[in-house]
Amino acid sequence: MEKLSYDAVIIGAGLAGLMAAHEISKAGYSAAVISKVFPTRSHSAAAEGGIAAYVNGNSDPNDSPDYMAYDTIKGGDYLVDQDAAELLAYKSGEIVELLEKWGALFNRQPDGRIALRYFGGQTYPRTRFVGDKTGMALLHTLYERTSGSGKVDFYFEWFAWELIRDESRVRGVVAFDMRNMIPFFFKAKAVVIAAGGMGMLYRHTTNSYIGTGDGYAMALRARVALKDPEFVQFHPTALYPSDILISEAARGEGAVLKNAKGERFMTRYAPKKLDLAPRDIVSRAIITEIKEGRGFPGGYVGLDISHLGEEYIKERLALAYEAAKTFSGVDATKELIPIRPAHHYYMGGIDVDITGKNPDVIGLFAAGEAACVSVHGANRLGSNSLLETLVFGRETGNEVVKFLQSFTEPSSDIDKEAEKAEQSAYDIVKKESGVHFGDILEKLRDYMWEFVGIYRDENGLKNAVSEILKLREQMKNMYVLDKSKVYNTEFYNALELKNMIDLGLVIASTALNRKESRGAHYRTDYPKRDDQNWLKHTIAYLSGNTVEITYKPVKMTKWKPEERVY
Amino acid sequence: MSLKNEEAEVVIKVKRYTQEKGFYWQEYKLKVDRFTQFTEALRRIKSEQDPTLAYRASCHMAVCGSCGMKINGEPKLACKTLVLDVIKKYGSNVITIEPMDYFKPVKDLVVDLDDFYNRMHKVKPRLYPSNEVLEGKAEHRLKPEDQKVLWKFAQCIWCGLCVSACPAVQEDPEFLGPAAHAKGFRFLADPRDTITEERLKILIDSAWRCTYCYMCYNVCPRDIEPVTAIKKTRAFSRLAKDKTEVIKTGEKHTEAVHSSIFDSGKIMGSRVYLSTYGLLGSMKEMIFLMQSGKLKYALVKEKAVENIQEVRKLLRG
Ligand SMILES: Cc1cc2nc3c(=O)[nH]c(=O)nc-3n(C[C@H](O)[C@H](O)[C@H](O)COP(=O)(O)OP(=O)(O)OC[C@H]3O[C@@H](n4cnc5c(N)ncnc54)[C@H](O)[C@@H]3O)c2cc1C
Ligand code: SF4
Ligand code: SF4
Ligand code: FES
Repeated sequence: MEKLSYDAVIIGAGLAGLMAAHEISKAGYSAAVISKVFPTRSHSAAAEGGIAAYVNGNSDPNDSPDYMAYDTIKGGDYLVDQDAAELLAYKSGEIVELLEKWGALFNRQPDGRIALRYFGGQTYPRTRFVGDKTGMALLHTLYERTSGSGKVDFYFEWFAWELIRDESRVRGVVAFDMRNMIPFFFKAKAVVIAAGGMGMLYRHTTNSYIGTGDGYAMALRARVALKDPEFVQFHPTALYPSDILISEAARGEGAVLKNAKGERFMTRYAPKKLDLAPRDIVSRAIITEIKEGRGFPGGYVGLDISHLGEEYIKERLALAYEAAKTFSGVDATKELIPIRPAHHYYMGGIDVDITGKNPDVIGLFAAGEAACVSVHGANRLGSNSLLETLVFGRETGNEVVKFLQSFTEPSSDIDKEAEKAEQSAYDIVKKESGVHFGDILEKLRDYMWEFVGIYRDENGLKNAVSEILKLREQMKNMYVLDKSKVYNTEFYNALELKNMIDLGLVIASTALNRKESRGAHYRTDYPKRDDQNWLKHTIAYLSGNTVEITYKPVKMTKWKPEERVY
Repeated sequence: MSLKNEEAEVVIKVKRYTQEKGFYWQEYKLKVDRFTQFTEALRRIKSEQDPTLAYRASCHMAVCGSCGMKINGEPKLACKTLVLDVIKKYGSNVITIEPMDYFKPVKDLVVDLDDFYNRMHKVKPRLYPSNEVLEGKAEHRLKPEDQKVLWKFAQCIWCGLCVSACPAVQEDPEFLGPAAHAKGFRFLADPRDTITEERLKILIDSAWRCTYCYMCYNVCPRDIEPVTAIKKTRAFSRLAKDKTEVIKTGEKHTEAVHSSIFDSGKIMGSRVYLSTYGLLGSMKEMIFLMQSGKLKYALVKEKAVENIQEVRKLLRG
């Protein structure tokens, strides 16, 4: 197998991966960034509404980083590690100013300072934005900056398949060049997984097609734990029927949810915060309205922005306007936008501390949506994720640098392991006939949506676990029709499916285990939060068909759990 | 409110490619509804009918720039195009899909974009702020109106559609192409940037090589108007040191055309431009490159237009 050698290999070229790569290369270490797609096509590009930040001298005069940490902790239903939330809040202003210096074109106030808007769950408005294409603006800025130094090597349209580790430490990554299927062993002293989320596990998702959970599954196969895997976020306002996100910025700017009777139904569910209640609460409210017959035919409700005026809409909510027009044929300046909840974000992820370090394997780090630090706890607040990618991308990069400074070369040879990993990729699809990935994939997405979705219960979750195990068995008979070595996307889709199934099994199993309702994890059979028994992080390993579950305490600093009312 | 849904059977003919077989056409039949995007049609073809089909797609919401291709001959983002709209527009249920022009084919709808990325990187696509700002000793304050102008040109998603459609790119190896010019202008025009001179060196000569055919303007899915960026870049010509022949010729022709419009109010023959975009709005700098051999649109003097005084006023203003 061909070999390359780097100080650090970063899997993922979204905001988290690029930020980590920037820090590592700035310190003089060699860094390779591997990505399935050209960096600017990473999922971060799709983020719309904004990035939360307390900026000194440019925030609401009553606001403070402590309020920001508190909102984050309460929003996350107290499953948030409070030291992580504080770090996120205290570094937020600095990170936004850094991106601004690098040329990110944030919307401005009349005096030239960065503008701000409200997002769900915020006591004071603190979301900074670039129209409603904030992710695109930040990702391009960061890619352009990182690619300019000439010190980071980009391997885009490369598929990372397996982590290579020895008894105690990570030794590199096996990845395929997608253009010609040639496998490479990227030897590395440190590996950062920043491979983003997993939306494709769900029938309805706002995520990109490339969000297939590869990073989580790669970690699981390397005997690395996921933290809080049962916590999956659904976004209340995805466009019907294409599931394209209508940003929370819309509600931040004053949009109102209405049912088919024309009622502003959020008055029933969150009398104080109304449409700006956190996502889990609004998502459940919408599903309840639809279930109880107050939705529109087809199963959706309306989002009203028409009162904001055409000019304002086209400047600040351009994408929402454009998406409603192009994809649902609705003119949002005059009509309701048809919306329903869809999968949106994964709070769970690779277990790391606030430096991005994983406790299972030396030299392994994770950042961004792939990681669970955890700042989002049981439910992420809107515009905290872009912030997380940058703040913790940078923290992780710095920690990798420290790690590299005291690194000593291992003596053992590991090339055999890499060859085994290559073989394992081909093993998945070595059959000449059998089932095809499409058949398995579509079933998986339906089971996840039906049984491991917004409302969950014991029967559904048990059903999901057993069905997913069946799909896992069926995968052994999967085959690939395309035998060519050039850009064989079918082969990579098959590898992605393997990843999705492994992850799906872990999500369903841990959701079955958590017998309470907290944040986005809602059990109709256990509708109450239960701090007595469940104020703890789930830690899950995958071993064969068994999901091994242990627990770990939540880190508390200043804030005692209180009832979560909005 | 209830959304109108319609359904249709469609035949999608895909122009496929492999190194061994070269190009060949393949047909897929499927049912679509009022809301089916081409990316979703392709995804269904791949998972339900033919997993060997290769194409790129990621965001399915027109922000990542992955899915550029030709749909019934038009350069489009597949995700931003609804199947039913195309059926209606062309009055036919048979639709062709082809890879983008100009770029080397890799497989099926996937083309090699290295040439495109090289162009983008050539213009140094990043802000070079002053050291004071980087060290935190000074603060940027960008006016909202400047932010608006820059943001317009910053929204390029690197899809490559404009380059695939640009005639000048195909003929002139010295021309950077529309997307790179949009990107280059976004930084050239940023009041916070410090390498203006270097940017002028990279951009000005190339800016005079565009033929003003407006293809980039027509195909850009993000309404970037690369040609407007080029037009605005040419206005920086005066500041350029070491003017190349191309720049000098370009400037001279600007003068000539300017006086032609001044006399007659018209540039004849530039039908594409005139009919699509109107004469008056921004005529002053909207002049074609007329380097010898590239004179695509001749100037023909005709009877002066009636409101010639108006035209002259605009040109003076
Ligand atoms: C529609 C939408 C809107 C959003 N809006 C907001 C918002 O307004 N504010 C906010 O804070 N958050 C928002 N989010 C969430 C936020 O965008 C994401 O959580 C965040 O961008 C994730 O960034 P990342 O760097 O972790 O990963 P990503 O940007 O997802 O990047 C993942 C990278 O990993 C690579 N990769 C994955 N698997 C492999 C593999 N096997 N081999 C090689 N490379 C691989 C990919 O190619 C990609 O480069 C939004 C999310 C969605 C879906
Ligand atoms: S106007 Fe210029 S840049 Fe645009 S397509 Fe025509 S020649 Fe190319
Ligand atoms: S300018 Fe427009 S068409 Fe050209 S690459 Fe950018 S987004 Fe695509
Ligand atoms: S899939 Fe992203 S632009 Fe079409």
